[in-house]
Amino acid sequence: MATKPDSVFRSLDRKAAAIVEFTLRQYRTRTSTWVVLGVGFTALALIFLIYIDVMASEFESVDNDGDSFDTDGDGYPTGQERKLGTDPFSDESHPGMFDPPIEPEPASKYINEDGFDWDVTASFGEQSTGYDDDGDCLNSNRTASQKDTNENGIPCDIIIQRSTSPTGEIVIQIFADEGVDEDPDEDAYTREAIHLGFVLSIGKLGFVLLLGIFLPLFMATGLIRDEMTSGTMHYMLAKPVARTEVFLYRTLGYLGIVWPYVIVLGILGALVSGFVGSGDDFFRFADLGVWLAIVFATMMATLVYGMLFNALGVLWKYGIILAIPFAAWELGMALLSMGAPDATILRFSVIGWALMIIDSVAMMVWPNLDTFILMGEWGGGGQGSDIFGSSSLQGSVPLSFFSSKPGLGLSAFASTIVATLVLLIQAVVFWFIGGALFKGKEIQ
Amino acid sequence: MIPDFDQQGQAQTKEWTPEVQAPAILLENVSKSYGRIFALSNITLALNGGVTGILGMNGAGKSTLFNLLMGKIKASQGSIKLFGTNPWKNPAPYARVGFVPEHEKMYDWMTAHGFVSTFARLNGLTRDEAGIEADRVLEFVGLTDVAYKKIGEFSKGMRQRVKIAHALVNDPELIILDEPLQGCDPLARTTIMNVIRELGKMGRTVLVSSHILQEIERITEQIVILHQGRLLALGNLHSIRERLDQIPHRISIEAENPKALAKDIIDIDEVFGISFPDGRNVSIQTHNLGAIHARLPKIIVENGHKVSSIDNPDDDLASILGYLTSGGRV
Repeated sequence: MATKPDSVFRSLDRKAAAIVEFTLRQYRTRTSTWVVLGVGFTALALIFLIYIDVMASEFESVDNDGDSFDTDGDGYPTGQERKLGTDPFSDESHPGMFDPPIEPEPASKYINEDGFDWDVTASFGEQSTGYDDDGDCLNSNRTASQKDTNENGIPCDIIIQRSTSPTGEIVIQIFADEGVDEDPDEDAYTREAIHLGFVLSIGKLGFVLLLGIFLPLFMATGLIRDEMTSGTMHYMLAKPVARTEVFLYRTLGYLGIVWPYVIVLGILGALVSGFVGSGDDFFRFADLGVWLAIVFATMMATLVYGMLFNALGVLWKYGIILAIPFAAWELGMALLSMGAPDATILRFSVIGWALMIIDSVAMMVWPNLDTFILMGEWGGGGQGSDIFGSSSLQGSVPLSFFSSKPGLGLSAFASTIVATLVLLIQAVVFWFIGGALFKGKEIQ
Repeated sequence: MIPDFDQQGQAQTKEWTPEVQAPAILLENVSKSYGRIFALSNITLALNGGVTGILGMNGAGKSTLFNLLMGKIKASQGSIKLFGTNPWKNPAPYARVGFVPEHEKMYDWMTAHGFVSTFARLNGLTRDEAGIEADRVLEFVGLTDVAYKKIGEFSKGMRQRVKIAHALVNDPELIILDEPLQGCDPLARTTIMNVIRELGKMGRTVLVSSHILQEIERITEQIVILHQGRLLALGNLHSIRERLDQIPHRISIEAENPKALAKDIIDIDEVFGISFPDGRNVSIQTHNLGAIHARLPKIIVENGHKVSSIDNPDDDLASILGYLTSGGRV
């Protein structure tokens, strides 16, 4: 019958393409497909709206070091007096007595006047960084020992020290000279932290967890089972196609609708966060790498869960009930991976590996993410900028929760490759299990 | 386990070396049990060529037999071979088989052409080839006019014909039809019967099941009778029928003037009783059905009786089964 020579495409045009195409068309005719896809879209759209709203709001700027106040009532803010070397606690001493006299500066100039100037390169050991922008440390009136309170011989710097505790955990300590980087810009930091935290959290929870589990739960569980129940499986099995192949091609058909959907939502997310996100640029191109990782991780998750849930559907008429404990387990693992990304138990989950892809790529795309979180948690080193008396900047705690380090001890790139391979192996294993179950199934 | 990479319609090519001499169907001591209930017990059967009717009441094991042949279920005992290959282990023989399932459920959202061509591609045809083949088989079953209408809009008979078309698309050597006439209107019934007979003439092995004797009788003479999971009889329907004719039978004739007709019929030697169930019918009792049927038309024509129907109420599967299971005593 074949008169033309066979190309790869002509070969695939036969059984595989027929079942994939058939499955796609079958999804299209079902209301449930559109309901599931619509609910997923609505849920994510709501989160995007909340994000847009947050990014549009102002964050209160806090004067961490209190130098915008005029403590002694001489009309000069403390910061200006410190910089110029007069006594901020005495109205007898102020820059107005200089020759020529210096006019007082507005107090607002001494809010957020000393931001982070961190350039952290060492991943281990001790490093000196930071710069005193407002001159309250480098002030010429101060003695050498006053300028070097952390006693490393460098005046007005910050020491970041990474060491290993006896239990093997990495401990980071920050020793800052008094008055260095002590009054950062809260609004800018919080805006950036919320943006990064949003991209990571919607990527991990919204895409990988929500879409990654619920799309397969509702769309893959019945791939084989529904046909078996309705009796239409007879048509397919009366053809010279191995059941394992039917299982595979049906799953591919499911991916044919789920993957484009995930990609479209990913593009939407990248556009929204790229335009609305913090920063002076018109569009945040740097984040696209992370969005790519989010879409890829979600695609891998829908692949593995698709195979798994399809197999569960073959196993039992009410396969969706079997799938629910898996979904609960994966939810637990997702939360665990954010708190304890090193936990060995994560290796026995799907989502642990999928999230590792996002974390690894985030490490590559945002190389300063760790430092950024560190800055926020240190927050200028002052006391009491929030109700817990911690100096941490707003946004740093959630960001630190949602970002974690891939716990394999490998480089970010290697972790991405390993995680992808593990997910592919999981998919193949579930395919074989599902195929074997289907092969042994008697169909009435 | 690995997928069929060349996609040419013969899965697991390694295992599939068609035996030229192997019969289309070969069952040896096949049993299928569900727990302690035997759906089929100890069936041995070889079929090759011609149209064979599988007769049996509901629950006799017809569908179980077909499910075994189509690799849907696994035999508890014995061996099943389609063209020499066990269909449960290897779907490759289905390249030479067409199957019309009994299930009514179809993909209502597909067009007849879409359905037939999609499933044709599972036989290893490309999209273009499948389209051409679909046109061919839809013409064969007489559905060319409605080929691009949705199956959901079809009548029962048309749906059956779509199913038959789908089974014929790979030009199979063996065609298995599970109750193809069930629920069809008389016109569709005739069309389907013609199609099946035509296939027989083309030299295909056709297996068609039914629980209605007259249906099978119009299609083929070669029958297999299943009863309670056992193979009760196998062979020519007429030889079974001839023996059956020796047992007491009723013939019911609907005529304009039953009394006058009865008067003429009573002269036939083989008739041993006549009754009038109602004003329009006359019922004859006989030991020799064949002799009556040979003489009855002549009597009716010669005496100018107006007869609207002649019916053999005993001439059905139930009475054949009754006869066969009682060991010939009725």
